[in-house]
Formats: sequence, C-alpha cells, structure tokens
Amino acid sequence: MTDTVKKRLIKFLVSLIIFGIAILIIVYNLRDNIVYFYSPSEIIENNQTGSQIVRLGGLVESESVISDGDSIFHFKITDGQEQISVKYQGILPNLFAEEKGVVVEGIYMNDGRFIANKVLAKHDENYMPPEVIKSLKETGKWQE
Amino acid sequence: MSLAINYIANSLLILCLVTSIIQSRFLFRIQNYNLLSLSQISAIQFLSILVSFVILIFLFITSDFNFDLVYFHSHSEKPLIYKLSGVWGNHEGSMLLWILILVLFNFLFSLSRSSSQKFKEITVAVQSLMIFGFVLFLLVLSNPFNINNENFNDGLGLNPILQDPLLAIHPPILYIGYVGFSLIFSLSITGLLTSEVDKKWATIAKPWVFAAWSFLTAGIALGSYWAYYELGWGGYWFWDPVENASLMPWLSATALIHCVVVLQRKNTMQSWTMVLAILTFSLSLAGTFLVRSGVLNSVHTFASDPGRGLFILIFLFIILSSSFLLFALKSEKIDKPFSHNISSRNTGIMVNNWLLISILIVVFLGTMYPLATDLLYNQSLTVGPQYYAMSITPIIILFLFFMILSPQLSWGESKLLKILNEMRYILVSCLTITFLTTLYYDLFNITEILIILLSLILIMSSLSSGLNFKSTKVIVKSNFGQSMAHAGFGIFMLAVVSNAVYSQEKIYDAKVGSKLQLDEYIFDFKNIEQEEKVNFNSIKAYLSLSKSGKDLGEFTPEIRFYSDPPTITSETSIIHQFFSDVYVVMNVPQNQESISLRLHIKPFMNILWLGVVMIILGGIITVILNRNNYRENEIN
Repeated sequence: MTDTVKKRLIKFLVSLIIFGIAILIIVYNLRDNIVYFYSPSEIIENNQTGSQIVRLGGLVESESVISDGDSIFHFKITDGQEQISVKYQGILPNLFAEEKGVVVEGIYMNDGRFIANKVLAKHDENYMPPEVIKSLKETGKWQE
Repeated sequence: MSLAINYIANSLLILCLVTSIIQSRFLFRIQNYNLLSLSQISAIQFLSILVSFVILIFLFITSDFNFDLVYFHSHSEKPLIYKLSGVWGNHEGSMLLWILILVLFNFLFSLSRSSSQKFKEITVAVQSLMIFGFVLFLLVLSNPFNINNENFNDGLGLNPILQDPLLAIHPPILYIGYVGFSLIFSLSITGLLTSEVDKKWATIAKPWVFAAWSFLTAGIALGSYWAYYELGWGGYWFWDPVENASLMPWLSATALIHCVVVLQRKNTMQSWTMVLAILTFSLSLAGTFLVRSGVLNSVHTFASDPGRGLFILIFLFIILSSSFLLFALKSEKIDKPFSHNISSRNTGIMVNNWLLISILIVVFLGTMYPLATDLLYNQSLTVGPQYYAMSITPIIILFLFFMILSPQLSWGESKLLKILNEMRYILVSCLTITFLTTLYYDLFNITEILIILLSLILIMSSLSSGLNFKSTKVIVKSNFGQSMAHAGFGIFMLAVVSNAVYSQEKIYDAKVGSKLQLDEYIFDFKNIEQEEKVNFNSIKAYLSLSKSGKDLGEFTPEIRFYSDPPTITSETSIIHQFFSDVYVVMNVPQNQESISLRLHIKPFMNILWLGVVMIILGGIITVILNRNNYRENEIN
C-alpha cells in the first residue's frame, strides 16, 4: 500500500466513524420523539395507556361536545366501531365541529379516557387528515 | 374571444418551446445558426413567457370564468390584490410563475458580460434545456389556459387563509430564490463540461449565488412571519414538512455561498462546491414540487394529481443522475492539488459546511421518516419538535463557535493565541454580560447560557471586523456584507433562545367588561362587535392593554366567516413593543355570555426579525459590493 492510499483509507475510515456516530445519535433522538397515530379501534386494541404521548384521530361524534366553562371541553371521537371520550382544556380550532374529522394529541389514560393537550387545527373545511381517511376506510365508514 | 386568447397564449408557450430548442443547440455543438444573437433569442424566450403571464393576470383581473383556472381559484367579489395573488395561488399559475423566473434568469445571464462567449453559450443551453422540460410539462399536464364551455356566473374563490398581503408576495420571492439556483446549477454543469471550475468560475457565479440565497432567505422569513401572525399558535417555526422542505435547500445553499468564496480566494474545494450546487438545486426542485404534489400534506398543497407528481420525480431523477454521472466523470479533472494548513480559514469554513450538512441530515430524516414508515409499515406517526431541538442544539453550539473563529483566521496560517489576544476585550465584555444576565434572570441551563455567550461574541466580533473605527470616521470594509449577516445570525440566535425561555401563554373564558392579567400586563376586555365586509362577515373583540397604569394600545382580534369558499379564520392581534410582542387570539364563540381568549407574551420577537433582516441585507450588500469591486478591477 502506498502512502497516499493509506492516508486516504484512514481519512475515509475516520469520517465513516464520525458519520456513523452522528447518525446513531440522530436516530436515537428520533425514536424518542415519535408521536404515533391511532384510530379509536387501534388504541383500544393496542391498549396504549400510560405516559406516552400519542395522536388519536377520527370523527367527532354528533351531539357529544359538552363545554363546562373555563375552556374545558368533553367530546367523543369515533371511527364507526369504537369511541373514545376526550377531555381538552384550551381553544378549539375554528373548524372543529361535530361529525367532522379531528386529530387530538395527548395521553390515553388507564380508565379509557383521553386527555388531550392539543387539538390540531386545519385550514379547510373539506380537509380531512389523511390518517383519519385511512382509518375510516379500514372500518368501511369512508364515503367519497 | 376566450378561444382567441387561448390560442394566443398557447402559441406563445410553443414559441418559447421552439426558442429553447434553438438555444440548447450549443450542447450538441451545432454552431451554424447565426440569424439572431444569443441574448436576442433569450429575449424572445423571456418575452413569450412574460406576455402569457400578463395574459393570465389580465384574465384573473377581469374575472373571465370561461377559463378553468380563473373559475376554480377566483371570485368576482375578491379585492384586486387577491385576484392578482390568485394567479400564483394555484398549481398551474405557480408553474407559469416558476417558468417566468427561469427564463428571466436565463435572459439576465445572457446579457451579463462576466464570462466568455463559449461559457455563456453552454450555460444558456443547459438552462434552456430545463426551460424546455418545464414548458412542455406546463403545456401537456398543467395548462393554465384551459377553457370550459359552461357560462359560470362566478368563481369558486381562493382559500381565505391565503388572502393575506404577505402571502401574496411570499411565493414570488421564494421562487426567485429557488429558481435562482437553477442558474447556479447550469453554471456548474457548464463548469464540469468544460473542466473549468476555478477562480474565474467562482467570480462569475458569486453574485448569482448570493442573490438567489438572499431571496430564498427572504422567502422563508416571509412565510415564517405569516405563520406567526396568521396561524395564531404563537410560534414562528413548526418543523412542519413544508417548512422543512424550504429549510433544506437553504442549509445547503448557505454551505454553498461559503464554498464559492473559498473557491474564489484559494482555488480549492472545487468538487465539493459542485456537489453543493447540484444538491441545492435538487432540494429546491423537490421542495417546490413535492410540496405542491400532495406528498407532504399541508395548506400549501394545491392538487394531488399522480401524473404531475410522477413527472416531477422523473425530472428530478434525470437531473440528479445525469449531473452526478457527469460529476463522477469529471471530478478528478477539476480538483487541483492544494496544500492545506489546518489553522486557516478554509478549515473553519469546511467544518461549518459539515455542520450545516449535519443539520440538513437531521431535518431530512425527521421529514422523511414518517413518509417511510407509512409506506413500509402502514404506520402513521409524526416527529415531535423536540427531536429537532435536541438534535440541532449541540450542532448549533459548535457551529457558533466556528462561526466566531473562522473569520478571525487568515486564508494562510494563523496562530490561535494571537487571535485570543486580539479578541480579549470582546471576550471579557461578553463573559461579563452573560454572567450578569445569568445572575439577574436565574438561568441554570448550560446550553442556554452557552448559546447566549457565543451569540454575543459573534455579534461583537462580526461588527468589529466589518467596520473600521478611526477616531471620528467609521469606514465600511469590503467584507461588510459578511459581518452584517453573521452579526444578524448572532442576534437571531440570541432572540430564539430568549424567546423560547421567556414566552408565556394563558387562556381565559372572558366576559365583556372583565379585566384579564398575564405577567405584568392588564387586558381590559371592552366590547364585541359584528361587522359586514365585502367578502366576509366578522366578529371583533376590543381589548385595551396596559402595564403598571400606562396605556399601551388596543387589541382587535377577529373571527372571519368567509362564504366563497365557506371558511372560518382567526385574525390575531399583536401589539409590538421593542422587547416583546403581546399577542391575542380569540375563539369562535361557543355561547353568548363568554368568549375564549388566548393571551401570549412573546419576548424578543422584534429582535428576532431584526436578525433575519440583517442576514438578508448581508447577502444583498455582498452582491452590491462584489459588483463594485468587479468594476474597479475592470478599470484597473
């Protein structure tokens, strides 16, 4: 092996190691900060209770929205098969409405309730989150 | 009438197609056509697109609903400015705008006198080949001049959230940035084809790279400012896939502008510069079109048409594969042997290049990971903003450190101790300021303290290197653009950290007449009124703001109910003070008695935007100073 080839090889290996470590750190970080999306059926099936923050999406069930002051809201999210009660304190997005698609982010509790800390806002009344469309299609409740 | 306009516009597009073929003849070494000069044909290319663009504007202004595009995206009752912005507020129109800028850059470059005739011919040829591809795409797959045979009385309107003066100019500015890099790409291909990537190449490319970079920065900043006041979430950056798609080309473009400077000074880093130029343009293409094709879902998505998405993917694939193939064949030839000195400015710039690319990888993985899991495992997920904050913060700290160090190093060899000695006043004062701030505000977090300290040093050292203080006069040095942008970045980072630490937010269920409080601010909720406007109805709340008895102004947050298309939007109301923004959003009233209001205190927002403006100005100043230097050299 000539000197230049040796030098190049060392250079290459060193950068490979540095690059590898960097990617490892990034991916490790990534795995820690992933928020999974579930439909009501999936969340019950997987029994995803505990401290992990997840997203839940589906349709807001009709006549299920109750407000008890102090910007606290209770409503139910359904995918046509299962339904989950959600509690949320905060400002509901403008396009939040019964029988419309919604995505909430928060924690699924042991008692089967979902405590949301975010209700995701979308901008178009005809817009349906793609995840919700997918889960509605899976339960056969999707209508074009 | 409509049919005639349709024919004229389509013929203009075909004229551009034909002239683009003529212009690309230089790539195939056909030289025997000399009827019109290079710049004359470029002028025809440019004018044909310009006129068809003006026709489209005319159709929108006169609300000619015989044209599909106008019918779907406009409405006769819309204010003039939004009829105008409706032109590019949709897929076909924005494609035409994209092409208009593409031919504009081509035309401007054909007029420039900085390069040899042969170099210019090939660059224009490469650029024209791209123009050909895009115009063909426009004609076949997304023609803006399609007509319908119905007699519609009115159009379907433009998404109200897009009816905003800032959003009217955000796409054109961003596009000038994106498309500006097409010229850099063409220049690189020419450089590779002719094996002439050297100081001369860098001198030709430099003003265009800096101009495109400045526009890209401004475009992203406008989008971010719009999100800050329009979306009403109190933030200015959400790590949304669409924002990320514009950030990625910016990161590689930022690396690129520094490489071009190194190439111009030291005639080194040739192949790396080429990689960055190709990467930046590919990311720009991917940025605009993946966003618009519906792969990444957001407010920016216009139409999901698989045919269009496929075309862009094929186009991207051709550009990437052919340019990297060319690069692989030529990279040995363009690299010149060069002996590096480890403690020189090139090393510093190289390190920061790697750090920028690391951030790019972080953003890329975060954006693509959800797409990959959805495709591979049918599992939907999102990546939280925490991921970006945690991964990027350590990189930013290193980045700031080298940003301070590199400009202090000379292009040859420098002694680190000497630099420390020269910077001693700055270092001591910045350490003192940081120490006092830490004590005063009870800061514990070591990362925050480090970023504040490094940002302060960066601001002071940049300003002192760009200006020369001589007893009574302040002389602006030739690197003023650089020092302005670097100081701006320091100010920006300082504001970002302080804003993250000191932001406050509270939600109230408020009745008219009540007084609300957040921190030291008192919000006096005075009234609610309903109003009818031309294209929407609104509910407006009136609150006055005071702090320790002093009146600071009035808030008028608003909910708007649009009818075409039916949509509800919230208008935030912001009172800007020098050190902090106070921000009120109101909710759609759920009942008669009370209304939900969200109050925010956002410290250092003005400072943050000031930093951004300085970064953009830095780029523009570099272009201008570079021009003057170039003229002086020519005279000498």
